[in-house]
Amino acid sequence: MYIDYLTPESVTDALQILQQQKGKARIIAGGTDLLLDIESKKHNPEILVDITRIPEIKGIRTEGNFLIIGAGVTHNEAAKSPLVNEKAQVLAEASRSVGSLQIRNTATVVGNVVNAQPAADSAVALVALGATAVIASSDSTREVPVEELYAGVGKTKVNSNNEIVTNIIIPALQPGEGSAFTRLAQRKALALPMLNVAVVVSIAEDKFQQARIVMAPVGPQPVRASDSEELLKGAAINEETIQKAAEAALNHANPRNSTLRGSAEYRCATLKVLVKRALETAVARARN
Amino acid sequence: MKEYKVIGKSIRRLDAWEKSAGTGTFTTDIYLPGMLFGKVLRSPYPHARIKKIDTTKAEQLPGVEAVLCYKNSTRVIFNTSATMTTTVPPMKPVLDQYIFDNVVRYVGDEVAAVAAVNEKIAVQALELIEVEYEPLSAVYDAKQAMTSDALEIHSDCPAGKNIPGEIIHLEMGNLEQGFNESDLIFEEEFKLPIVKQVQMETQAAVAQVSIDGSITVYSTTQTPHPSAQILAHIFQLPVSKVRVLNPPYLGGGFGVRIGLSGKAEAIATELAMKTGKPVKVVYDRKEDFIASDTRHGGYVTVKLGLKNDGVFHALELKANLNTGAYCSFGVEAAGVLGAMGLSVYRIPHQVYHGHSTYTNCTPAGAMRGFGNPQAMFPIESVVDMAAERLGMDAKELRLKNIIKPGDKWVLPYPCKSSGLPECIEKGAREIGWNNRGKLNKPGDKIRRGIGMGVGTHVSNSWPFCVDFSNALVTIKSDGTIKVASGVVDMGTGTKTSLAQIAAETVGVYDMSKVSVTLADTESTPFEIGSHASRSCYTAGQAVYLAAQDARSQVLEYAADYLKERMEYLDIKDGVIYSGNEARISLAELTEYAHLHNKQFLGVGKVVPSNAPPWEAHFAEVEVDTETGQVRVIKLVAAHDVGKAIHPVIVEGQLEGGLVQGMGYALSEEIRYNDKGKQLHDGIHKYMLPTAEDIPEIKVILVEPHDPSGPYGAKGVGETSLVPTAPAITNAIYDAIGIRFKEIPVTEEKVFKALYK
Amino acid sequence: MNKKNVKFTLNGKPVTLTVSPSATLLDIIRDELKLTGTKKGCGKGECGACTVIMDGIAVNSCLVPIMKVAGCHVETIEGIGNKEKPHPVQEAFMDLGAIQCGFCTPGMIMSSKALLDKTPDPNREQIREAISGNICRCTGYVKIEAAVQAAADKVKEENSK
Repeated sequence: MYIDYLTPESVTDALQILQQQKGKARIIAGGTDLLLDIESKKHNPEILVDITRIPEIKGIRTEGNFLIIGAGVTHNEAAKSPLVNEKAQVLAEASRSVGSLQIRNTATVVGNVVNAQPAADSAVALVALGATAVIASSDSTREVPVEELYAGVGKTKVNSNNEIVTNIIIPALQPGEGSAFTRLAQRKALALPMLNVAVVVSIAEDKFQQARIVMAPVGPQPVRASDSEELLKGAAINEETIQKAAEAALNHANPRNSTLRGSAEYRCATLKVLVKRALETAVARARN
Repeated sequence: MKEYKVIGKSIRRLDAWEKSAGTGTFTTDIYLPGMLFGKVLRSPYPHARIKKIDTTKAEQLPGVEAVLCYKNSTRVIFNTSATMTTTVPPMKPVLDQYIFDNVVRYVGDEVAAVAAVNEKIAVQALELIEVEYEPLSAVYDAKQAMTSDALEIHSDCPAGKNIPGEIIHLEMGNLEQGFNESDLIFEEEFKLPIVKQVQMETQAAVAQVSIDGSITVYSTTQTPHPSAQILAHIFQLPVSKVRVLNPPYLGGGFGVRIGLSGKAEAIATELAMKTGKPVKVVYDRKEDFIASDTRHGGYVTVKLGLKNDGVFHALELKANLNTGAYCSFGVEAAGVLGAMGLSVYRIPHQVYHGHSTYTNCTPAGAMRGFGNPQAMFPIESVVDMAAERLGMDAKELRLKNIIKPGDKWVLPYPCKSSGLPECIEKGAREIGWNNRGKLNKPGDKIRRGIGMGVGTHVSNSWPFCVDFSNALVTIKSDGTIKVASGVVDMGTGTKTSLAQIAAETVGVYDMSKVSVTLADTESTPFEIGSHASRSCYTAGQAVYLAAQDARSQVLEYAADYLKERMEYLDIKDGVIYSGNEARISLAELTEYAHLHNKQFLGVGKVVPSNAPPWEAHFAEVEVDTETGQVRVIKLVAAHDVGKAIHPVIVEGQLEGGLVQGMGYALSEEIRYNDKGKQLHDGIHKYMLPTAEDIPEIKVILVEPHDPSGPYGAKGVGETSLVPTAPAITNAIYDAIGIRFKEIPVTEEKVFKALYK
Repeated sequence: MNKKNVKFTLNGKPVTLTVSPSATLLDIIRDELKLTGTKKGCGKGECGACTVIMDGIAVNSCLVPIMKVAGCHVETIEGIGNKEKPHPVQEAFMDLGAIQCGFCTPGMIMSSKALLDKTPDPNREQIREAISGNICRCTGYVKIEAAVQAAADKVKEENSK
């Protein structure tokens, strides 16, 4: 069990602690995953560094055409935020589907990403949005697309012993763009997804200009249905193209047989339904 | 219908204030001076011999005060369930458990236990216990456990390999003749899952041993008196020296603790005896899942013969239930399955043949319905099949065949009342039964359907088990009433219902003047406890008799005091009347009596008869044919409850059971991997419904008034999920034309069936 | 063992404790402060029996490290309503039969109170969302939902006076 718990009030202070502790300290935000991981001995930090009091990483704001989500932002804040609902609706829907309200009140969007589970709902949405993570360490700050933060199943490229994701930068949806999140789960709360799909489309004159279609858990990380995306570029918006794109999602999907959450066969078969429905909803929203 | 003053009124529950303020004490809230914490080491193997066990390092950990295993603990064979105290001779209870044994028979089986000054140290100590196991082969399926490949899990099985106790055989008429005379015969096999009660308070006990050897155990048991008997048996103590009680609240049960709460009481007591200090044992949620009784899954076959005009003529029902590693209620559950399955319809030729089978799964025991839900999913599915084949409305087919009062049946007591026809008609109207078969258009991707199921149950376990109740009703020196009964209130509202019965019967209507002591062997006379839906009916009957006794003592005394004839006297609203004239308040009379050396103490004793409650469930579902997901839109439950002593309590019980029934039908199950480990060993994995999953629910109470119950009441608690699963699966059939013979009907099962 | 001081407000009163930093808020509430109204149903944030309100929002106290609570306002079931005047949510739960075994009740009431404090006029979806993380195995949630609605109606009525 950890022996100390610190709450720095700036990113600089937090990074300093991490550096001084040389790997014995670890970042905690909401802690709803981390505490369970410590209990199961998956992680064994001596010191926890709580970043949720740091003013500079709280809150949701816009900067030009970008939506900035601080590392302290909880799932519930994201789900209910008028800014997120307006400019990145798929993230609001994704965050809304996590766990329960108590969990959403504590757990953070960024924590969900760093925890690196393949079907982390908000991460799937963020990849569809083309979001970028701002990662600070004591000697540098780098920006990495969320899509590139994965190093294997459940493994993130963020080293929580010496760096902090401070913000997520999301290109805000513009007129003519729409997004949607669909999820297949065994009950409506307190359930991990059997499948989740996040879609962002931009349309013009009844044609798809481009689409980002992200699906999980069909691989070690959120997976882009790149064949589907390719098919939709410049395609007419109709039932046939959407159906074809939905089916092409299977080309990059490789779900395993889960003992609890559906066989590979079932998830492959229903994946196209989820993609189709997400595309239909995203298109309808883009048109409004 | 007679109007009562408190009976039939939904007064505020007597425990509502304490529960809503969080001030009520549950077993898990108890802290005693010097109390130690007990933790249990559990087997990681489904079947193994313990070759070596070394507890030295654990014992040496600072803060540890005792470590127990089979080598240094009480070695008396028992059964954690109340069967030890309720099996009627000449049948003998199956005793197959020790506190710790040198063989482990399921993943989770108790290997050792530690008592330490705090929970953390106790957990650390467990890790220091060194055990060497010799794994043995294991089996997890009830059919496989009977084959020659399977090992004997227990050797004392005279009825057959791995069959505990008896094979239950019930018979009426001549089955062969019955099938020969039938025009149509249906024969189908069904598979039932293992599911779990998931009551909110996990198994727990705090045991305290006095210097004179008497013990006090606060526990989550549903049956304090039988549990005291079990502990007395294990520890070779006089029953009179064993006190078991709820302190006073109990966070649910649903059958998981009829008898001991897992082994919490036994382990806590053993550790308390060893250390000389109070010991608290609380199962964490995972332990509660893997190491406390589940509901029996297994295989049930139905063979139904009927005439062309729809009259049922022959029924053969067979069951092979998976009772897991220890028998618990394995024999009784197999018995009730048959007894209930054969008692819904009027069928002249019937046979039930069923038993439990040992496997290396978590022991299965009692869970709400106790075999009845496992009988009715198969039977009600076959009835629907028959209706379809005959081209007859499924509701009409049922109405034609359901038991009517006075019909001959296999049960040893008569059916004196049935409101089932009214339940069926009212429920059918509420769900819109006439829309069945007409809800969908060709090409609809979301398809809707309506289905129904019916069932019965019992109002206690007489005469199948030892079943009797005693109660005391005391009128205190200020005219207030104290009821003492050994049943519990695990949420079922017993405390309030018994208070209402006492109040109405004595004639005191101000409920603030009625107090109830429950669930304590020290202060209540022997009472079997809360199971088999018996508390309101049977304990209620005992309370009624005790209240009558107290009341007549009061009137006799008052007659003398007032110089009146007893026949002219009555007690109404705490005042003694002579005709219409108020003569003296009960409070004044009892104060006078006290000062003249008299208390009014009513005693009620009852060996009950039994009365069948009846229920009809209706479901409307929506199937997403693109994903296989089934959503229940509406559930209607129409129940013959005899008389609802407290309508809101009855509704609440039915609503809760319906949601459990929905889970049973669609999403709840416990499966095992090939190493015998439970896959669904936590609330996040076990798919019981949340508040966002519930459909529209409508409960209809029908009250035909059974003459044998207090104020006409019958049992309710377990009826609430007896026919829910088939109502839902029959609705699914109406929606998509696919019959499922296995529950839960998960989205993947539906999808596979649609597209295979 | 390393012990640290933590200061917070509990049910309106300031509290200073010396704790093991790895304790959870639930551990401290129940084992240290002996406030046993808040229940432990699973210890993993899956059942909601341990729900308390922290700075106005409902959280699973079994997953809140105690040091995170420094400077916060924590409300437990013991702090709402009193003998003379129960909280409207408590009153509604009692009046409408929303309580059976009572084990989920404190957590349910805290989730409901947190909802009504911020959303005095909730719709059905909002009520269900607020209690989505509170498992009740006894009631089927039906009368609980009705009680929350009734409490909201009552508060609205009282405020309009």
